[in-house]
Amino acid sequence: MTSRTREPFALRACLVVVRAAARLAPVGERDAWRREWEAELRHRWSNQRHHQLSRGEQLSLVRRSFGAVVDAAWLRRQVTLDADAVHDTTYGLRLLVKSPSFTLVALLVLATGIGATTALVALTDALMFRRLPLPDADRVVTLWERHRTTGIGREDVAPGNAIDWISHSSSFAAAAAVEPWSLDFTAPGGEPEVFQAVRVTNRFFDVLGVPMLHGRTFLPPEFTRGNDRVAVLSYGLWEERFGADPSIVGRAIRLDNQPYTVVGIMPPGIELRLFEQRREPRVYLPKYFEDYEARIRGTGYWNVVARLRAGVSLPQARSELETLSAYLATQYPQSNANIVSDVVPIRDHLAGSLRSVLPLLLGAAALVLMVSCANVANLMLARGAVRGREFAVRQALGAGRGRLIRQMLVESLLLAFLGGAAGVLLARVSLSVISSLRPIDVAGADLIALDLRVAAIAFGVTLVSAVAAGLAPALQLSRPAAARALRQANTAGATGPLRAALVIVEVSLALLLAVGAGLLVRSLHEIQRVDPGFARDRVFALQVFAWDRNTTAAKRAVFFEQVLDGMRSLPGVEAAGAVSAMPFIEANINIRSAIAIAGRPTPPAGDDALIYTTIVAGDYFRAMNIPLERGRLFDRPDSSTSRTVAIVTRSAVRKFWPGENPVGARVNIRFTGKAYEAEIVGVVGDARHDGLDRPARSELFLAHPQVPFGSMTLVVRTTAGSPATMHTLKERVWAVDPQQAFYRTATLDELVARTLVGRRFTMMLLTGFGLAALLLAAAGLYGVMSFSIGQRTREFGVRMALGARPSDILHLVFREGVTLALAGIALGIVAALLFTRLLRALLFGISASDPLTFVVVGLFVLVISAFSCYVPARRAVHADPLVTLKAD
Amino acid sequence: MNLTLPTTLVLHALARGHHHGFDVMDATGLPSGTVYPILRRLEREGLVSADWEAAAIAREEQRPPRRYYELTAAGEALLATARTRYRIPRTLRRARGLKPRPSQS
Repeated sequence: MTSRTREPFALRACLVVVRAAARLAPVGERDAWRREWEAELRHRWSNQRHHQLSRGEQLSLVRRSFGAVVDAAWLRRQVTLDADAVHDTTYGLRLLVKSPSFTLVALLVLATGIGATTALVALTDALMFRRLPLPDADRVVTLWERHRTTGIGREDVAPGNAIDWISHSSSFAAAAAVEPWSLDFTAPGGEPEVFQAVRVTNRFFDVLGVPMLHGRTFLPPEFTRGNDRVAVLSYGLWEERFGADPSIVGRAIRLDNQPYTVVGIMPPGIELRLFEQRREPRVYLPKYFEDYEARIRGTGYWNVVARLRAGVSLPQARSELETLSAYLATQYPQSNANIVSDVVPIRDHLAGSLRSVLPLLLGAAALVLMVSCANVANLMLARGAVRGREFAVRQALGAGRGRLIRQMLVESLLLAFLGGAAGVLLARVSLSVISSLRPIDVAGADLIALDLRVAAIAFGVTLVSAVAAGLAPALQLSRPAAARALRQANTAGATGPLRAALVIVEVSLALLLAVGAGLLVRSLHEIQRVDPGFARDRVFALQVFAWDRNTTAAKRAVFFEQVLDGMRSLPGVEAAGAVSAMPFIEANINIRSAIAIAGRPTPPAGDDALIYTTIVAGDYFRAMNIPLERGRLFDRPDSSTSRTVAIVTRSAVRKFWPGENPVGARVNIRFTGKAYEAEIVGVVGDARHDGLDRPARSELFLAHPQVPFGSMTLVVRTTAGSPATMHTLKERVWAVDPQQAFYRTATLDELVARTLVGRRFTMMLLTGFGLAALLLAAAGLYGVMSFSIGQRTREFGVRMALGARPSDILHLVFREGVTLALAGIALGIVAALLFTRLLRALLFGISASDPLTFVVVGLFVLVISAFSCYVPARRAVHADPLVTLKAD
Repeated sequence: MNLTLPTTLVLHALARGHHHGFDVMDATGLPSGTVYPILRRLEREGLVSADWEAAAIAREEQRPPRRYYELTAAGEALLATARTRYRIPRTLRRARGLKPRPSQS
């Protein structure tokens, strides 16, 4: 009855479908699966005795049998998913353990790439995307002056301009001026010290938008003369000096020998980094505008912060300020002709000098990652070639291509995750190094911590590198052509085009990075060779603001004379002087005045008539080793009673007396509101002021006894081996005034070095990346060569047996490796010629295609590559021909 | 266990005495490509036990033995929670093609 001939057509159709589907079911369950389906179908037809199947029911059964395909496929997927995942992972792990040297190298290589990239991405994240402690921080901006023609920006704002910007703009919900200030403070029994302070106008705390930690901000009446002896303390000062005691609020503390009532404590973490020295203020005082301040336009020393009004965009604010600057330029052409405003978001400002190089460093880190991925891909390919047999066997036994690719990807994932874990450790170390090296004008970098965000970043980077490193080998090795390996045993192609290409790419990327680093190293070297116009060594600088107890011109003249006399009497002091605008010091008193030369028409308004005006006391020029080029220096007879004399720099001569001798010329100049008529008595050499990469400035010096200024930097040159120290010098000052505090003390060398920190930082990071990439590329080349030699042992054995000398073999192998390296170097040089122009802004004194750098780095890479080939080649030569012939 | 509506319908059908794959399909109106994977998943997770029908019955009906599915205690418990989630009776009534066949044993 169940014989085949009597089976209805519909049942036969169903059975055909089920049997076909059965091929899909996993082997182990195939039989049971087929029996189950057949039983169900036959049951339906055997039931016909009770219930005749209608044509429709038969059709629906045929349709139902097609579900068997889905069922079988599902079953197969389940079984392979489970088994393959477990199998791939354990198999992968076993392989990693079985070849520890491969694993170790691959892990180190991956950790380097992942670590570098993670560190840089975390740094970028910290600088550019982290939450700032200010509410709605993206609406907070800082305002600066920019020089239209020179393009030099981020300059402090002149009070007159600040007042006009604040009162005439409508883009801001609140805007405030910030005046750098300093306060002397003497703790009981301690030495006098200076607190960095700021005086802030009434809307300052509205700009910040943060509530005080304790107490309150300033009340409107406190922004008036006589009511302004109130202070808000920074969190740091409150914690450090007042034991974080909230009851300090409402009490008075003595600052500058005056009682100030503490009204509030700032919350922690508020950083604006407004001042050039980037020291955060420790005390905030109320500031009201003085009448005379509205007239100061040529000299910038204020800062302006503002919060954009709701609905006003940054470009809108910028264009309003531009219009305002243009108006001020027509109103005050003398000072403002070339001054425009810079509106800088606080976030960009806080990122400081790193902001501009971050994309570059990120790119460099990505290149390192690429090199390490290429390296691991290459290692896997090398191992894959050895495993060619295994893969071929598996393919012959029915493993699909997808299955083999998955196996390879699981292996690279395993590697990547182990490498990623090591990379995170490496990133942690490099972040702390970066943090300690970072330029002082970069805020927030110390906030870098390895948190979940960074972990997520590292995870992403790891996934990307796993695919990047594993995909190429997986595709290559799973190719059906690999089946040939089964027949050819282990002698399959030595290097293979893909592996050769990977090595070439590695070498070229490494060369690109190394050239970039080399250019920065050269630039730093060049900039350090720049003659600043003075001698940097053995000079102490002590900045003092001596106004408080020296209220008259005569007292100030006497104070500095006595201090300098005291210093000269110290053993080991070669020369001692003082200057109002000390080169390279952070809080400089840069005053520019319009100069009128007697017997000449008044020059046109604007920059051309302005000259930096600086006060000099004692042997300043000798202390700095600034040479006298013409005439004489200031002398004792130049006193308050004799005629006013002046000295100018060589740049000033070039600008105002081109081709003439200015000695004897008479000039009219204003300094802090007073007019002076002075005779030029000498010309000195140029000294650079703000940076070795900035041009020297035209400057006019007046003698301190004739213009007794109070904000001066004492400059002391000592002899070699001098016993004088910063402290003995301070004691000389205290001998004259025991209450005098020092705003800043440093050696001249430190002051100059400080301006190079940013460059050095970028240079060191890029050099680190370059070296890492070189090392990786060398390892890659070494790996490829030793593998290729290992594969050809037999060939070498035959050659030597046939009479080839060891040097022939060496030559053969060496040539192969060096050819690869040369190809990489050539490609890298082309890439470097294309990409080093991105570095142009960071270069100094050399071009982006500096031949010396290219040649030296190219040779360096060649030597390293040659060495990487030589070691395995030598091994091949020293192998015993008998042994090599027996190999495999 | 991912408790979808089809899964719930299958559990319910098993509870109502439909013990074979095709019968469950008839009871729920779900296609075979849905019902079998659900049954296999339930079996793996111990919510359903499966065995072959006694050979004697099959021989008597002159056909191969069928595979027989039954809810385990865990399956019963899961169905109880599923009932509260999907309010089975109403849903079942609305399920398409629901044509309970008369019991065939």
